[in-house]
Amino acid sequence: MAVPRNLRRQPANGSLVSHCTHHHIAVFLLTFFSYSLLHASRKTFSNVKVSISSQWTPSDINTTALELQPYELWNSSHLFPNAEEATLFLGTLDTIFLFSYAVGLFVSGIVGDRLNLRWVLSFGMCSSALVEFVFGTLTEWLHFYNKWFYCCLWVVNGLLQSTGWPCVVAIMGNWFGKAGRGFVFGLWSACASVGNILGAFLASCVLQYGYEYAFLVTASVQFAGGIIVFFGLLISPKEVGLPELGEEQEGSAEEDANKPLISNNEEDEDDQNYSIQAPDTSNQPKAIGFFQACCLPGVLLYSLAYACLKLVNYSFFFWLPFYLSNNFGWKEAEADQLSIWYDVGGIIGGTIQGLISDMLQKRAPVLAISLLLAIGSLFGYSRSPNSKPINAFIMAITGFFIGGPSNMISSAISADLGRQELVRGNSEALATVTGIVDGTGSIGAAVGQYLVSLIQDNLGWMWVFYFFILMTSSTILFISPLLVREIRLLLHERRLRTRTG
Amino acid sequence: MGRPVAGGPGPRAWVLRLLLGLAAWRGGAAGRSAVCSCCPGPVRNGSSVASYCAARPALELQGRCCLSREPEPGVIVGLDLGNCSLTFLCAGFPDANTAVVIDLTENPLGNIPNTSFQGFTRLQSISLPRALECPGGNMAWDLNTTHGDSRTCQGQRNLCNSSGELAWLCPENSQCSPDGPGLVQCLCSGSYHGYKCLREGTFPLLLFYGTLGAVTTTLSLLAWGSQRRKAKAS
Repeated sequence: MAVPRNLRRQPANGSLVSHCTHHHIAVFLLTFFSYSLLHASRKTFSNVKVSISSQWTPSDINTTALELQPYELWNSSHLFPNAEEATLFLGTLDTIFLFSYAVGLFVSGIVGDRLNLRWVLSFGMCSSALVEFVFGTLTEWLHFYNKWFYCCLWVVNGLLQSTGWPCVVAIMGNWFGKAGRGFVFGLWSACASVGNILGAFLASCVLQYGYEYAFLVTASVQFAGGIIVFFGLLISPKEVGLPELGEEQEGSAEEDANKPLISNNEEDEDDQNYSIQAPDTSNQPKAIGFFQACCLPGVLLYSLAYACLKLVNYSFFFWLPFYLSNNFGWKEAEADQLSIWYDVGGIIGGTIQGLISDMLQKRAPVLAISLLLAIGSLFGYSRSPNSKPINAFIMAITGFFIGGPSNMISSAISADLGRQELVRGNSEALATVTGIVDGTGSIGAAVGQYLVSLIQDNLGWMWVFYFFILMTSSTILFISPLLVREIRLLLHERRLRTRTG
Repeated sequence: MGRPVAGGPGPRAWVLRLLLGLAAWRGGAAGRSAVCSCCPGPVRNGSSVASYCAARPALELQGRCCLSREPEPGVIVGLDLGNCSLTFLCAGFPDANTAVVIDLTENPLGNIPNTSFQGFTRLQSISLPRALECPGGNMAWDLNTTHGDSRTCQGQRNLCNSSGELAWLCPENSQCSPDGPGLVQCLCSGSYHGYKCLREGTFPLLLFYGTLGAVTTTLSLLAWGSQRRKAKAS
């Protein structure tokens, strides 16, 4: 099952260095930052929840003895009667966004490779920026507050944003061969976390001027990014006359299926879909259909596991600033800056755990240990004191233990499923399976957003953390078959080694 | 759907302000005649309004009102609705919120709700039928004297300063300011503005877009020059 280490490592170092031109660097940076910008504008929404909630509600009658005057200044906005209803609606918006994002992902997988990737990416970035501008800035300038309008815009935004990841992964797959892919993708997949940090930073800088300016800034920067991508991105080496990837590499379909493609929090789905465009020339067994792929051993379990973990990861992403200002009473801008530490932990966790699992060549034990420690850190975070340094520290640790497995679970699943006898070397089944896994993950995350706001509204934040702990435990439960199998393999290998060595 | 105060700049706000200004000017003219002619006849000779008006040459009488000539022409400074057989206040009464002296004596008035005096920040002397309380209560006035059938309340107090009965807690970024006898309001302090005084300062739009435009143009040219210029297929 496991390819001997030295055979796998050498080609990696050799061809990576020899093939790296300035075009590769430009493609890396452009795709990295285009996805970061897409993610940054998503983060903006979660970072201004407190301000939006204030804008949509009249002043709290309980805290002030008499009705505040002047009426226009304090009570004239009645979109929601109180902050709790506004929070519920914000959770609904998150759910709507994730659902349409999941649907968009399924669709993008089909549409993506029929059209020019550069056009699709810049179109997606620019139009998504326009929708965000209308959603956050225009409605505030015109004082037009309407629930249905917000919902419709957010559905459209979810569909437009889902074009981003398939395109960037496809382009990266065109440029970076299997040789250096593990390392490069590992580094590259930090783009979502960098986007989170960027979005949080931008939002906290301009929040004092009003939440509408946070949307304006991130939408404008995203639009600018779309323009730069349009003018500067090369889809494949073929465009500048360099040799295509498939021409240099031969007969390594098996190696490719073996090599885990490290991907990020949300989307490893089309990750597989586009990265295996090149070696399609070899004779392939018949592609497996959608329902057959569902019935493959382990697919359902891993889909559910990923759904649970993605739920927790996304809930942190969407709700952390709101929790900080709601629970501790910190200013929203400060809460935004603090929530950056979760992403920092996630980047470090993904990188280090990826390295460890690469060295051990076993992913499940690293995962299981990290998830167990994640439960502990979630528990600790729920009881974090009202102190910014301590809170940031525990937050970073939680990000480390949750972000790492989130990165790896998807790559572990795809690699593992690719090794199965039934689908060995069958790229279409791999893509379909990954699509199922990530689509289910997205749906789980979507349901989770609504549940979080519901639980918080009725039971309080402590129960939200218990819910997260429950979900993380479910993840461990679902991957336990894989864990058992890998431990057995580990023991078997050790027995072999002691026998021969 | 609520329509909070427009806080940001932009052509739309200016047009709105222009229209509102025109309406107020025209409305002022209409209001001037409405409440001033609510009750027939001129300002009564012995009333406090008449003596206040006579003492100041810059004021002129019109109907039952005492109006100022400059610096703000047409603004109601005194209102005399005495002996008008009023059971409730005239419909245009809020237009007189700039009044300094008001006379409501000799009227079969019922209890006046405190909110009728919202915005009457300049009111310094009001004469009512003796049966009625001073608007805002005793604590809102320096002096409360009764004279025969009428009661005179003088010297409106700024309730924001008094720490006692109304310890006013205005929300963050706002400060207390008087809104009439016995009434206070919370207005945004300093550079805060907008709904619930959430916003501070003005966003440097020009600077932002200037920088963004320059950076985008530079990077696009750089990217195109180094990458796509030699691209074959599009």
